[in-house]
Amino acid sequence: MTTPPTAPPRCDAEECRVPGIGSEAPDFELTDHAGRRHRLSELRGAPVLLAFHPSRWDPSWAECVRVYNRVIASAERGAGARLLSVAPATGWHALSFDDTTLDFPAACLDAGPIAERYGVAGGPAVFVIDGAGRVSWRHTVGDAPPSPNELAEALRASLPTAADSGSSSWSRRHFVATAVAATLAIALTRRVARAEPAVARPRPATAIAPGDAVKLRVNGRELSLDLEPRVTLLDALREYAGITGPKKGCDHGQCGACTVQVNGRRILSCLTFAVMQQGKDITTIEGLAASAGASGDALHPMQQAFIDHDGFQCGYCTSGQIMSAAAMVREPWGQTDDDVREAMSGNICRCGAYPGIVAAIQAVRKGPTADQGGRR
Amino acid sequence: MKPFDYTAPASLDEATRAGARPATRFIAGGTTLVDLMKLEVETPEHLIDLNSLGDRDPSLATVRELPNGGLRIGALARMSDVAWTANVKERYPALSQALLLAASGQIRNMASMAGNLLQRTRCPYFRDTATPCNKREPGSGCSATHGFSRSHAILGTSEHCIATHPSDPAVALVALGASVRVRGPGAQPSAERTVPIASLHLVPGTHPERETVLNPGDVITAIDLPPLPFARRSLYLKVRDRASYAFALASAAVALDVANGAIRDARVALGGVATKPWRSTAAERALIGKRPGPAAFRAAAEAALEGAVPHGDNAFKVELAKRTLVRALTEVSA
Repeated sequence: MTTPPTAPPRCDAEECRVPGIGSEAPDFELTDHAGRRHRLSELRGAPVLLAFHPSRWDPSWAECVRVYNRVIASAERGAGARLLSVAPATGWHALSFDDTTLDFPAACLDAGPIAERYGVAGGPAVFVIDGAGRVSWRHTVGDAPPSPNELAEALRASLPTAADSGSSSWSRRHFVATAVAATLAIALTRRVARAEPAVARPRPATAIAPGDAVKLRVNGRELSLDLEPRVTLLDALREYAGITGPKKGCDHGQCGACTVQVNGRRILSCLTFAVMQQGKDITTIEGLAASAGASGDALHPMQQAFIDHDGFQCGYCTSGQIMSAAAMVREPWGQTDDDVREAMSGNICRCGAYPGIVAAIQAVRKGPTADQGGRR
Repeated sequence: MKPFDYTAPASLDEATRAGARPATRFIAGGTTLVDLMKLEVETPEHLIDLNSLGDRDPSLATVRELPNGGLRIGALARMSDVAWTANVKERYPALSQALLLAASGQIRNMASMAGNLLQRTRCPYFRDTATPCNKREPGSGCSATHGFSRSHAILGTSEHCIATHPSDPAVALVALGASVRVRGPGAQPSAERTVPIASLHLVPGTHPERETVLNPGDVITAIDLPPLPFARRSLYLKVRDRASYAFALASAAVALDVANGAIRDARVALGGVATKPWRSTAAERALIGKRPGPAAFRAAAEAALEGAVPHGDNAFKVELAKRTLVRALTEVSA
């Protein structure tokens, strides 16, 4: 696990003490994306993983988020949980998309006072709060980084037992190990970044300068990312939102590995700036099946066809191939294999899986009944 | 990539005024500009995003009929949309073909029509900031004239620059006699001026850094196709190193008006071999009045390539361009 950058100032006042193991977790209010208010105490019955990190997103945190998610997923009955990052001013960031069963509201709040109440204003920290609302485990600034095993164990110990959950609404399916990654109010890095331009330039209202939040709608979810105008859509997805389905191959529009769909059309996410894609529907491989109405673990027909027809070997180009192919079948191309090859010429496969790719696309275009080789 | 500030202006007026400042670039599709900004060949301090103008005024992004029987293509229309527009396919097939033979499906979905006309050269020395290039850094010298010049131009060159203009659609548009509508800073909507595409681009001469007649802040708002009934028999042929998704080594856009066994009118333009989209009126003159066939086509090809200046590695392009033109004329008259 990557050690996130830490900022040392700590509050030593009485009200800023870090709550100890077994003590009641300080309550606070959350506002979800629909504007509804919730209190932490309302979430009792399920453990909460509360993670604080600096408000300026550092790509190294993506690894931490992955670890948290892995830990939650590995905990018995914890599947479906996710982390939400809460920025002080710009709404919430979704950091993971493994949340099909999530029913916890997205939080939107100024995390400053919350961080202070937990005595962690100044650096990253993680708390596990058990179903009774007590702190069962903590990791704060200055401690050694938590090991994933340690965190998993703490989370597992906090899970309601079968007797607790009984046959009520806390079934496995509905169980949610809630994880909230709140941000710190004191974000020195952010202030430094904002102070960077030597001369303040007057800007029209539509201008975006380094540090402004960029709002993207990815796979149906609203994201608010703190990034500069020079960040490409690809980097925004991978490095800021933790959505790593779009791959970075050449980064110059020559290989197609970064293909995503914007408003249903295939484009190259490496050749556009994230700031230019606000207000549009961005779909990555993570959301492709759902965009076609599939639920749960069901695959998009093109994903299934790539499996059925051996449309990949190493897999690096595959998410781009599938995103491209799924949009290409809606374009007015001719019916032959050569038409498919021409239409897909912007997606390079170094393993040479082209025969399988063409077969997969043709199978989807001809429909399930004509697809003798398929298993559908 | 160098930092910049980003603005999405609410009106064309705002855009042209903002675009007139130094170190400013307009962005639409971004497929050329983002690439060159990553290479730090382009280092704008201000980026003006024109895309929302198309949301406010759909005519900037769609294809419309003109009262004179021509078509007006909004500058922000995407290459793929124009290529598949029925009016374009039927009345100006060379343009539809040139669009579909350019780039990839993803890039065609992104790239705007005006941006395509204004794309920068693919000369590897222009794209490499470690090597001298008069186009990128005026006065620094040309690396291509004595370097690897296989992809470079043989027509319209100067001792200062032999970079090829990379656009396919521009070649079709110049053959079809299209023009661009341009709005300058401070101009009223009615004050748009019209520039034939044949005179939009400049040959390098002593100033390779000047690529078009556009001034700072000028925005192309539309591309006008004139009524040209015989363009229904037009064709774009592209020859390249691989079957798809590559820039042209040589290409030809042609249209023939044949009546009673003789060529009444002809349009010829070449791509991949010239420093700008290259219309050859000499080739057209060589065709008019002649009977369509190998002799007339070869004579036209000789006329089109008269004065070509090869640079060692690209000497093959002289004959390749001739054969490309002959084949295009043969196919369009078949």
